[in-house]
Amino acid sequence: MTRPATPGTPVRVLICDDNDMLRAALAEVVQAQPDLVLAGSAADADQAVRLAAAVRPHVVVLDVRFPGGGPHTAEHVIRTVPGVRILVFSAYGDHGARSEMAAAGVAGYLVKGITNAHLLAEIRALGAQALAALSRSD
Amino acid sequence: MTGESRTRPAGALAPSETAFTLLVGSVLDYGIFMLDPGGHVSSWNAGAERIKGYRAEDIIGKHFSIFYPPEDIAARKPHLELEAAVADGRLEDEGWRIRKDGSRFWANVVITALFDATGELRGFGKVTRDMTERRAAEQALTERRRLFTHLVQAQELERRRIAWDVHDDSIQAMVAVGMRLQLLADRVGEPFAHELSRLDTSVREAVGRLRTLSFRLQPPGIDRHGLVEALSQHLNEVVGGWGLETSLKHSLAREPAPETAITIFRVVQEALLNVRKHARARAVRVSVASESRGLLVRVADDGTGQPAVTHKLHEHFGLMEMRERAETAGGWWTLHSAPGVGSTVEFWVPDLPTALLDEPLPGAADMVAGRLTVPDHPAVVRHPAVPEPPIAHDSPTAPEGPP
Repeated sequence: MTRPATPGTPVRVLICDDNDMLRAALAEVVQAQPDLVLAGSAADADQAVRLAAAVRPHVVVLDVRFPGGGPHTAEHVIRTVPGVRILVFSAYGDHGARSEMAAAGVAGYLVKGITNAHLLAEIRALGAQALAALSRSD
Repeated sequence: MTGESRTRPAGALAPSETAFTLLVGSVLDYGIFMLDPGGHVSSWNAGAERIKGYRAEDIIGKHFSIFYPPEDIAARKPHLELEAAVADGRLEDEGWRIRKDGSRFWANVVITALFDATGELRGFGKVTRDMTERRAAEQALTERRRLFTHLVQAQELERRRIAWDVHDDSIQAMVAVGMRLQLLADRVGEPFAHELSRLDTSVREAVGRLRTLSFRLQPPGIDRHGLVEALSQHLNEVVGGWGLETSLKHSLAREPAPETAITIFRVVQEALLNVRKHARARAVRVSVASESRGLLVRVADDGTGQPAVTHKLHEHFGLMEMRERAETAGGWWTLHSAPGVGSTVEFWVPDLPTALLDEPLPGAADMVAGRLTVPDHPAVVRHPAVPEPPIAHDSPTAPEGPP
């Protein structure tokens, strides 16, 4: 397991997935990490946008096929939360989904089925970017 | 038939006792009779009696509009048909006519205007054929075609639904299980961690297989790229990945109707799956050729040539499915196996133009190739993207950088 990207400041993670089992598993995985904080979890776009504005996450883990629209959610969250990094975590790895999400401004794209370690490493890397962006703007 | 009356234009139109008149009088398959310039029946033959039910003495002298249904009489069709025959020399029509007993039959009618040497109209020759049976046969064919179209579309829709269910539910659930297993492995330490990792590996292998399944169930994109391109892509991207050498030979006169193309693709897909499972082959050759108003397709491998007949139910089902698909399309399907040489799946399906649905067809000539679009299903809207060929379940895909 890699060390925390920015010692001292935990990375706040918001989880957005409409599948209950997956959301719960993701939440557990995040909560098990000392350097990550589960800031909230959302099952649709409205919830995600509301939560993002309230908890100001550093990293949002987002499904592509998300009720209310994955790309729409990404765009909205990026507009509302300065420095936030969106990490797509999708069952779809096709080109269409990738370019759609890239156009919405996401920072990373992972296909479901990868190891927890890989997912966490990506969350940490994006978390470090978000924290760096925030400290620059301070 | 129509030209013959024109060879006797001059003089009285009354039948003479020649062999020719005898022939015309005796023909049973065609109603051949004459009308005077005003449209009254002036001669009658055995065929006309058989088709229309009137004896000569009942009908001679009656106006020929008696053969038309009321709606045609109201539209002055008999009158207009004679006018057209005078203007153009002849008129051909297909439509409903009425027998003496009031029943309807589907008739092919040719009316020829008969002019004498001075150019004066002397009457009309009329040849009538009863096309009711042919029309019924055409309609049966149209109906069969319609059912086939519906069946193929329903099958494809059902496959897509299953693919989405697998993708959205089964895969997600198993991914969640895998994540929890890894989490647990991190917590419990050895010796359990090792066992849990093995479980997690199995789960992720199963996820990979489900991805493959859901990809296989997806529509092959024939509507966008055509049959040959869809087959070629499948051979390169999927079958090539199994380590089989592939080749595709094609000589198509034209792109087959969409449902025919899907049938061919699905049968070839199943045949290739069979090769992968049983043949222990190095190479597989696929050929598609236009033949006998249809398409002849071969999938030949260089494997063991062991008969693919098996006692495993789901594999037997694959063979049955191939045959059923080909036969439902109105074609045939065979499997030859020669030990040491290989196995060949061969099938032929007719390529009839797809009839426009729910359109009553008076004749085959009116059949129009109609392309159908599968009606939008809510799931279609929810999932605009088609998954790519299965990605290795344990090799993560590189994330995209920030735009």
